[in-house]
Amino acid sequence: MDNSICQVYEDEIQSLEEEIKLLAEKYEDSQQESTFFSDEEILMSIKSFQRESEGHESLSDLITQLESLETDLSFLKKFTGIQFTSHFKEIVEKTTNRTVRKHRLSGNCYSLSFQLEFQLLEMQNKENVSAVVTDLGIIMESGEDSDMSKFVSSTEEHGNLLRFFRSLSSYAEWYEHRRCTFLHFK
Amino acid sequence: GVFAHLERLEAQAREVAVKQEKMKQEEEKRARLKARVRELRLQRDKLLAKVRLQKKQLREKRAMSDPAKSGARAVLEWKIKNIKAMLQVSYLTGINGKRTKQGVCFCISTAYESTYLDSYYVHLLVKPEVQIHQHSVPTFIPLEQIAKQYLQTDIGRFLSVLSDHLNAYAGRKYQADQLQEHFSDQIEGTLQRNSLCNLLVFNYKVSSKSKTFPFNARLLYGDLCCSLPTEVNVSCTPDAPASLAEMAAAHSDLFSRVALHKAFRSFSSDEESMD
Repeated sequence: MDNSICQVYEDEIQSLEEEIKLLAEKYEDSQQESTFFSDEEILMSIKSFQRESEGHESLSDLITQLESLETDLSFLKKFTGIQFTSHFKEIVEKTTNRTVRKHRLSGNCYSLSFQLEFQLLEMQNKENVSAVVTDLGIIMESGEDSDMSKFVSSTEEHGNLLRFFRSLSSYAEWYEHRRCTFLHFK
Repeated sequence: GVFAHLERLEAQAREVAVKQEKMKQEEEKRARLKARVRELRLQRDKLLAKVRLQKKQLREKRAMSDPAKSGARAVLEWKIKNIKAMLQVSYLTGINGKRTKQGVCFCISTAYESTYLDSYYVHLLVKPEVQIHQHSVPTFIPLEQIAKQYLQTDIGRFLSVLSDHLNAYAGRKYQADQLQEHFSDQIEGTLQRNSLCNLLVFNYKVSSKSKTFPFNARLLYGDLCCSLPTEVNVSCTPDAPASLAEMAAAHSDLFSRVALHKAFRSFSSDEESMD
């Protein structure tokens, strides 16, 4: 009988800890998403920050961190041509081994722009983390191309996000070569 | 008599002491847990209030995106969080890279349709020439061959081809795993497969109208960048009726066009529709 009371407490402790993590992330997300600073505003802040932080090591660490992260992000572009321009995420569910988030991701691959919306379920099992994509929505700027729209609908249907990126990468590279060649002869 | 009596009393006293100690510990544990619950509830309620207030403020659109008001530090911290979040989902693109002191570490993700599976890393050195320092690619993937062909001239191509191999392998493995996990009642004996998962041999049965039909299947995936087989052999016992041979031929065609677990799924739904 004593054991069951302890079990009730322990169950409540686990559920409270999960709820706290969920609320904390919700708060962070809303703080982040309620704000938007353009690239110019960010550059201005960097300049004023550099003036403020002269002599203060810990403050200039922020600038170094930002530059390093930006380099990492643009590094992705080098090998796949894919560049992310904006990202929005919202936590939907968070338990000990299951996390569900909604994502909106925009970017481009060479000259082709895309906008994605999807839900991502990440699960922690014994050895690794697995992820499943659901409710995938894709908007391509060059949507008039019938082959492209067929490709997009089939990708959306099967939630084939990885194949989307891989195919986009090779298609966009070819498209870019064709475009450059065309311009060359104009 | 007296000593035995004394011993008995001592033993009783010890028992009582042990019981009391145990009860005390249980009480302390309960009290600790109760206090923790109270502490967490308080924390949760504070957070809830914070989130509600935030919602209210956002509705009233209090100035939150004025860089002058926020200060340069807040602006930079916002941007840092923004980029970190983008980097966290960049594995979804399939090829991800990060510079290291010695060169670059690439991470190749694999997926079957909407499920992301294992990822593999390749750590490249760039000096004196591009070479592989460390990697987690399985030995049955022809990494050296691919590196020999592309690594020096076109790293992007090297990664692309490696990704094709790994993804095809992951797709084949996924189908075989799904078959074993969800259709084990239709598989007779064990599903034989090699580590590259490009050769599968198994016996299976299909039921219709309460009769079962046994088959043997052999699938060879000749194209290592493909997760569909190039050669399919479905056979039944030599004394089987012609209708069974027809079924075998139909299955053979199906397995060469449709993913294995999806093919088996269609068998079950056929059976349901027939009964």
